[in-house]
Amino acid sequence: MTSVSTNPGGRSAPSTEGRFARIWRRNGAGYLFLLPWLVGFLGLTLGPTLASLYLSFTDYDLLTSPRWSGLKNYEYAAFYDRRLGKAIEVTFTYVLWSVPLKLTVALLLAMVLDRSVRGVAFYRATFYLPSLLGASVAIAVLWRQLFGADGLINQLLFFVTGIQGPAWITHPDYALSTLIVLAIWQFGSPMIIFLAGLRQVPQDLYEAASMDGASGWRQFWKITLPLLAPVIFFNLVLQTIEAFKAFTQAYIVSGGLGGPVDSTMFYSLYLYLEAFANFRMGYASALAWILLVIIAIFTAIAFGTSKYWVYYEDEQR
Amino acid sequence: MKAFNESRATKVRRQVLRHFVLGFASILMIYPLLWMVMSSFKPDELIFSDPTALPTSFDLTSYFQGWFTFRESFTTFYMNSFIIAFFAVVGNLMACSMTAYAFARLEFRGRKIWFVLMLGTLMLPYHVTLVPQYVLFLKLGWVNTFLPLIVPKFLAVDAFFIFLMVQFFRGIPREIDEAAIMDGCGPWRIYWKIMLPLSTPVMATAAIFSFIWTYDDFLGPLIYLNDMSQYTVPLALRAFVDSSGGESLYGELFAMSTLSLVPVFIVFLAFQRLIIRGVALGALKR
Repeated sequence: MTSVSTNPGGRSAPSTEGRFARIWRRNGAGYLFLLPWLVGFLGLTLGPTLASLYLSFTDYDLLTSPRWSGLKNYEYAAFYDRRLGKAIEVTFTYVLWSVPLKLTVALLLAMVLDRSVRGVAFYRATFYLPSLLGASVAIAVLWRQLFGADGLINQLLFFVTGIQGPAWITHPDYALSTLIVLAIWQFGSPMIIFLAGLRQVPQDLYEAASMDGASGWRQFWKITLPLLAPVIFFNLVLQTIEAFKAFTQAYIVSGGLGGPVDSTMFYSLYLYLEAFANFRMGYASALAWILLVIIAIFTAIAFGTSKYWVYYEDEQR
Repeated sequence: MKAFNESRATKVRRQVLRHFVLGFASILMIYPLLWMVMSSFKPDELIFSDPTALPTSFDLTSYFQGWFTFRESFTTFYMNSFIIAFFAVVGNLMACSMTAYAFARLEFRGRKIWFVLMLGTLMLPYHVTLVPQYVLFLKLGWVNTFLPLIVPKFLAVDAFFIFLMVQFFRGIPREIDEAAIMDGCGPWRIYWKIMLPLSTPVMATAAIFSFIWTYDDFLGPLIYLNDMSQYTVPLALRAFVDSSGGESLYGELFAMSTLSLVPVFIVFLAFQRLIIRGVALGALKR
């Protein structure tokens, strides 16, 4: 790019307007509309992301300015922080159980709902409602009571079998399972997405398959699943990321401490406690970056393997 | 004839089976909520004696006592929640639609790169920006005000809405704005007089989700609001669990939890179709 003053040969520019005015005329409106987002992106996303990377190499307690500590935070995380190990274990257990089960239930009910059933709208709404309410503290509070020592679950259990159940929520072996059940209960939004996907599967494929005598089971494996693969993939990635981010449920159910004996110490909760209860802002930033890498690896595996099992109809191959 | 009858019978049997499965699932889904609502009308000692019993009387004591449990009443908490949610909705609609319009319709240098970066923020977990954003708002003196919960919405931080709106704007025929340009309309007028009025479905969807997510948000208020006079409804509910361990104030807790779900429930009943379409839209329109 030449600078404004050079005008080789003294030839006049194609238009009389200056260089700046021309750039403005071409790009001005776009950037004007983009301005709020640009400020937000640079100031609240990109800037903080870089700051977080920097802070992750420091000791920072919010009161004194950050002190560079090199890889100390990461070393501590990798070799010494047993609570972090527990948090990762808890989070992985949660992700690996809740996501597949939730998606299975979602797909199952989407398939039942896909066939013309009277009252579809009612069922769809009923199944979706818990998903919508799910993020609220009220639901987490409810769950805490449901699975308490004398909560509804134990009352029903006693009523039906006569067995006195444990205090699920305060028992280290069961507390996490109750949160997994909560996650499965909220299968509504992947179900809606599956339902929309099922509607796009051409019905004549099923008719043709029936003509050829293919059983319902075979049709499911040979038609439904392959054609639904992109939607399954989308739900899988989305729900996995969501599960890694879970916070409110764990906070409320455990009273903000991740107990009993760290059995519901979700990664997000641990990061929150390190940052805002222990004021180890530098270490919390390192934790954030470790989580980012973990999620990136999961996503990369999903995308990397997707070419073997996800077929897009409009794909040229 | 016999074959016809048989297939008819299997059809009916299938329908019945389907309704049985769906009906059972519905009850399973709704029962916990019903239990909470029923419990909120019962005196404490009855809540845990019989899980299936309907309340014998509509005892509103828990509601009155729950509303005034804390130093501040729930009137304050609801006001706070609604103020924050209102500005969040306005901010999201304005900022996200402007951004989406720029990406969907305007030509400018660097558009593709910015668009890719915007999509990238969809995948970024909030943990990464949590600490530096807190430090930033602390240095600005915004902690203990609503500003950290409102201002980011006016800067279009919710990329999901931008994405949704871009998809929608792209579906609006270009001929319409070309004709408007012929008539001498600038980008601002096209955005304001053509794009926005034609986009009410997606705007409504964004507004609904924006409201519900802000209203339900727990982590944000937990970090930024320390004074009880600024508490939102979720923070107040948490205060029940903190103060009593949830052991003695069951009735009040259930009553206030039930009430806290009412706004979301009303929005859901009123806009069910839009909400359900909104969920499906993001996934399928790619």
